[in-house]
Amino acid sequence: MDAYFLPNHRCSSWLASLAGRFNLFYPREVDEAVHWQRYDANDFNIEQLALRKIRAAEPIKPFFFSPRERVASFPEPVEPETKMKPTLLFGVKGCDLRGIAVHKRMFLEGEFADPFFAQRLNNTILLGADCPAPERTCFCNLLGLKPFLTEDVDLSLTVIDDGWLIEALSERGAELMQMENGLQKATDSQIAKREEQRQKAMRILKEQNPKDWNPNLAQAIADKTADKRFWIDAARDCVECFGCLLTCPTCFCFLLYDQGNAERFERSRVWDFCYLPMYARVGGGANPRARFIDRFINRFHCKFMHSKNQNGFYACSGCGRCFSTCMGRIDIRNILGQL
Amino acid sequence: MSNPYQPVQAKILDVIEETPNIRTFVLKPEREIPFLAGQFVELTIPGFGEAPFTPSSSHFRRETLEMTIMRVGRATGALFTKKPGDLLGIRGPYGKPYPLKEFEGRDIYIVGGGVGLAPLRALFLALTEEKKKYGRIFLRYGARTPKDIVYKKQLKEWEKIKGVDIDLSVDAADEPWERKVGVVTCLMDEIPCDVKKSVAVVCGPPIMMKFVTKKLLEAGFPGGSIYLSMEMNMSCGLGQCGHCRLGPYFTCKDGPVLTWEQIKDIEEPFL
Repeated sequence: MDAYFLPNHRCSSWLASLAGRFNLFYPREVDEAVHWQRYDANDFNIEQLALRKIRAAEPIKPFFFSPRERVASFPEPVEPETKMKPTLLFGVKGCDLRGIAVHKRMFLEGEFADPFFAQRLNNTILLGADCPAPERTCFCNLLGLKPFLTEDVDLSLTVIDDGWLIEALSERGAELMQMENGLQKATDSQIAKREEQRQKAMRILKEQNPKDWNPNLAQAIADKTADKRFWIDAARDCVECFGCLLTCPTCFCFLLYDQGNAERFERSRVWDFCYLPMYARVGGGANPRARFIDRFINRFHCKFMHSKNQNGFYACSGCGRCFSTCMGRIDIRNILGQL
Repeated sequence: MSNPYQPVQAKILDVIEETPNIRTFVLKPEREIPFLAGQFVELTIPGFGEAPFTPSSSHFRRETLEMTIMRVGRATGALFTKKPGDLLGIRGPYGKPYPLKEFEGRDIYIVGGGVGLAPLRALFLALTEEKKKYGRIFLRYGARTPKDIVYKKQLKEWEKIKGVDIDLSVDAADEPWERKVGVVTCLMDEIPCDVKKSVAVVCGPPIMMKFVTKKLLEAGFPGGSIYLSMEMNMSCGLGQCGHCRLGPYFTCKDGPVLTWEQIKDIEEPFL
């Protein structure tokens, strides 16, 4: 579809009109960090809209897969809320979409679809924004992803000096563009600026991640599995804080637990983490991954071996949050780069 | 889209004491649970949580389900306080059943240990329901002591079925016992079927499955013809939560019945 230009002086009003129709969330810069924030007209300044920054500190995962959610109750059943106001995530980065891809595969494409995830995903408009200046933690290029969006979102947005270039990538996106009558068809020169900016971002990524991973990484991990010395060295600085799993946009593990009594109870689903010693314990007390090193290896198996073999893509987005949050400063690029 | 986390109510019709620590619960769910032998369900003990169990009854009789359960922990402890008329929750069925189509025309060599005979009972009943489709059925079953043997009455009945060959052992005979004493592999020194053309089905404690599998392989069973119940820590049952990961498999979705061929490359598959 064609790209359109929205001049700077109209951006705030378009955002406000979108916020009138959706639960709108945007990336906001707070104390030099970017966080997702619900739009509030009384507390919004377009200068705080951090579209030119990299992804927010937290992934968009919680918008679809809640950290804690009531999924069943007894004896009266629970059904997903269907009358929620639609959500619009304004300024999603390309890396966060890998999380959605993994979760769609896990929660929707098996025999049993998750109605809660499905309802939220269907109820959410995704407006993507280019990443013009990748930072040193970014490595989406090593995973075949790009720092801009040309698919899998409803709208794609690029900030240029005098306004925004917007392109509808779905019918839902095209409808939203019709809400704004200040849009002008983008000129060749504006599109050239967008292209130049995108290429520059690609160059930055290539410069900081010059060495491609082993093209058969899944097999390389399988071959390396028995070399415990390698993994022990890789995990040496891990303090088992689980920050890497908590901030990962693709992790999907969860725990079901019931609260209540024999007459009435509620079943909740909470995020779970495969680094926890009790995570894989089986009935009778045996544990296939009782040692931390086995749990550490399991994370690489899950993300880079099983996902690739079964889904055709890695369960990693290259967002670098695992590294950013790691107390031991473990950069998985260094580990995977040795394979 | 239905909610897969929501259990349906099931009333306990009967509780049968099999051994001091094992009971069979006869359940009547408010809607039919269309399970096949080998598949499992998640059983909710209201107020305590849920746990996976494989029905032990025939899948040809689905209006009720029987679950033979050993008391091992908090949830099963709570279950053992339940009596006829009490309500439980149930959801499922989950996982893949025994591939009975592939069993047709072949002898079936079943090896069970302890409460592991429960899922095998569902298989045995399914096989004998349509006995003409299959060859001979051999059942080898071991328990710790004579009083730990489940389905004592049924075993006697099953022995009378033509084409069925049953042999039993106990690890220790602390009361009069006329059959073999020793772990279940002591029943496997002679395997009276053509191993290349038969299937073997195993369910029991992991250590038992490990040594039974070794014995079956030594006897010449192909790895793809040895079916093992790899009942790990199955939780959601949907192939989503990740808890029952066994190598590349989610046991709840890809199993719980997996062949030795599928799992032989996994580091320590029997825990």
